[in-house]
Amino acid sequence: MSDPSNHNLNRRALLLGAVLLVGGGAALTRLARGPGIFSGKSVRAFDAEQFALLEQVCEVIIPTTDTPGAIAAGVPAFMRQILEEWGSDTSRSEIASVLEVIDKLAWSRFGAAFLELNPERRLEVVRGLDAERLARHDPAYGKFKHLVLLGYYQSEIGATHELRYELVPGAWRANLPLSEVGRASAV
Amino acid sequence: MDFDAIVVGSGISGGWVAKELCERGLKTLVIERGRHVNHRTDYLDFSAPWQVPNRGKVPEAEVAEHYAVQSQCYAFNSATKQWWVRDSEHPYSTPPGQPYHWIRGYHLGGRSLNWGRQTYRMSDYDFGANALDGNGVDWPIRYADISPWYDRVERFAGISGAIEGLAQLPDGQFMPPMDLNCLETEFKKKIEQEYPTRRVTSGRCAHLTEPTAEQLALGRGSCQMRHTCERGCGYGAYFSSLSATLPAAQKSGNLTIVTDAIVERLDYDPAKRRISGVRVIDANTKQGKSYQARIVFMCASTIGTTQILLASQSEYFPDGLANRSGALGRYLMDHVVGIGASGNHPGFTDRYYYGRRPTGFYLPRYINLTENARVDFLRGFGFQGYSGRSTWERAQNEAGVGAELKQRLRSPGPWGMQLIGFGEMLPRANNRVTLHGTRRDRWGIPLVHIDCSHGDNERRLADRANRDAVEMLLAAGFENVAPLGDLKPPGHSVHEMGTARMGRDPATSVLNARNQAHDVQNLFVTDGSCMASSGTVNPSLTYMALSARAANYAADRLASGEI
Repeated sequence: MSDPSNHNLNRRALLLGAVLLVGGGAALTRLARGPGIFSGKSVRAFDAEQFALLEQVCEVIIPTTDTPGAIAAGVPAFMRQILEEWGSDTSRSEIASVLEVIDKLAWSRFGAAFLELNPERRLEVVRGLDAERLARHDPAYGKFKHLVLLGYYQSEIGATHELRYELVPGAWRANLPLSEVGRASAV
Repeated sequence: MDFDAIVVGSGISGGWVAKELCERGLKTLVIERGRHVNHRTDYLDFSAPWQVPNRGKVPEAEVAEHYAVQSQCYAFNSATKQWWVRDSEHPYSTPPGQPYHWIRGYHLGGRSLNWGRQTYRMSDYDFGANALDGNGVDWPIRYADISPWYDRVERFAGISGAIEGLAQLPDGQFMPPMDLNCLETEFKKKIEQEYPTRRVTSGRCAHLTEPTAEQLALGRGSCQMRHTCERGCGYGAYFSSLSATLPAAQKSGNLTIVTDAIVERLDYDPAKRRISGVRVIDANTKQGKSYQARIVFMCASTIGTTQILLASQSEYFPDGLANRSGALGRYLMDHVVGIGASGNHPGFTDRYYYGRRPTGFYLPRYINLTENARVDFLRGFGFQGYSGRSTWERAQNEAGVGAELKQRLRSPGPWGMQLIGFGEMLPRANNRVTLHGTRRDRWGIPLVHIDCSHGDNERRLADRANRDAVEMLLAAGFENVAPLGDLKPPGHSVHEMGTARMGRDPATSVLNARNQAHDVQNLFVTDGSCMASSGTVNPSLTYMALSARAANYAADRLASGEI
């Protein structure tokens, strides 16, 4: 499902994956190894449990509402791909460190793996970390959030369903009521 | 003779020379050191964001290994990467601790494919600046000499802009301007009230907003407001060698193009006192070859042309071809950048825009023209301005996750504005391009060594530009106003120029008033190296006009048998 050269296939596989996850997430979490899901190491390829954590963290940051969320938009797969194709070892370990911290926070706050928490507690963990890390300009977290946002808002779903994007606008109209234009431009 | 004329380089200058010479009936060979590029089919301009490789990101390891300098350019991304050289394959040297950003691409069309497209005329304040303050040599031309050629190139290239009637920013042959947005309109009103001799106008740019029959016949069309320009434009809506000049040259039936041909040196015939051949190396096979023509135009970019002329030394020109003056390689200039300011505006929250305008606004020079009090430096600066509402990207630095975040980002964020200064750099002899004493590239050509730094005048000018930009944004009601940051190293604005300057005196300049070498009558240079001063404005339009002017002069002299 991670063939980046075939976008249509990729999207279809992702949507399928999202469906499977509804039932599959709980099964995966039973395999949780306790705190230290990445053992402090960089990742080149996520294992199943790590990827499940990545998926659920992305979905907390950009949840499914009246529009599709991060998983449906392929953000976790994008993250996996960008870390493989773009990221340096430094970036890979930074992203892994953020996920690891999130899982450890879940253990320290609620005594369970992040994947075992209910949606409210997941949100509480991620929201707290987000506020704290951005307040101190933590570069690793900044990179993580940047990639999640990039993955979502520059996906086809994020750009065209959630926001507004025209491949060929065809005109420049310099001054319009916001209400007439509607949502923010994705670019 | 193989050809009537050889043009070295296919960028903005070379494209113009080729078009003019071909249309005058001269059999013309364009030699391009880089690969062939197909207009339209080699561009990634029809890729949506999710289709662009890694959403625009070039792999970090690849950037570090191959694009350390080139990636400094704002337009470098995975969809434009093909327009930049690999620094690892095309090295140059600089003194320790004194970087120079030599940003470039080797391919048919050169930097005309990924240029900034801002197009402004120089004025007599620019052409007269050296004579006025004694820095550099006097330009051998004035505005009246070049004005008809600006007209000619603007009509063909297609320039969008507004008539303003300013002495320091002469009007031209404009297509309709791209309108200012509501914040820019407000900014214009406030600035022109507060500072009576400052002006805010739509950014003049080489985009078609009302194509002519001539442009349509070349397959060009109106700008579609996509603002993916630096990838190349399949509509041919902005001017490039591939959308405009080379197709026009091709129509004449007189054009020949060779690509992957690196000019190694020009051969000089001392008996005839002419260039007798242009020696090239095949970039792939490294086979040597020589071409002959009656005239040679060097349009290989400022540093590229300088490298070739320096390498073409002989017993007759021991310091480099056409360099009896010693000026060749000296007086390197760029525009001072990294100056200006940015801020947010709290108003207009219910206003927005549609489309992605590929330009902004321009605030032309006033300093040392209409505002002279308490100025502690020579020359001046202008500002390119950009404004808009922030996108989802603002959330990278703002706390917030979940449904609340998503809801918030559906609406555009606050309005922001950037005033990006471009300052004039004085021509100084020590800012210099030379050949490296020992290092050579993979084709055996000596590397260039670039020794260039800003001086006191540039630093004072930069301080004032920062102060003025901050003051203007505050005066117009902006918040979170801050200077842009530190001065960028020279080269960063990609306006390098001046190393084979025009001048009246063969003892102090390389080229005469017609871009013809003082020392070699069948040699012309019309890229940025010909510039005697940098002026305040983006230089490409001036290269176009000088190229067209010199090409027609050369064609006249060939016809009359004087060359």
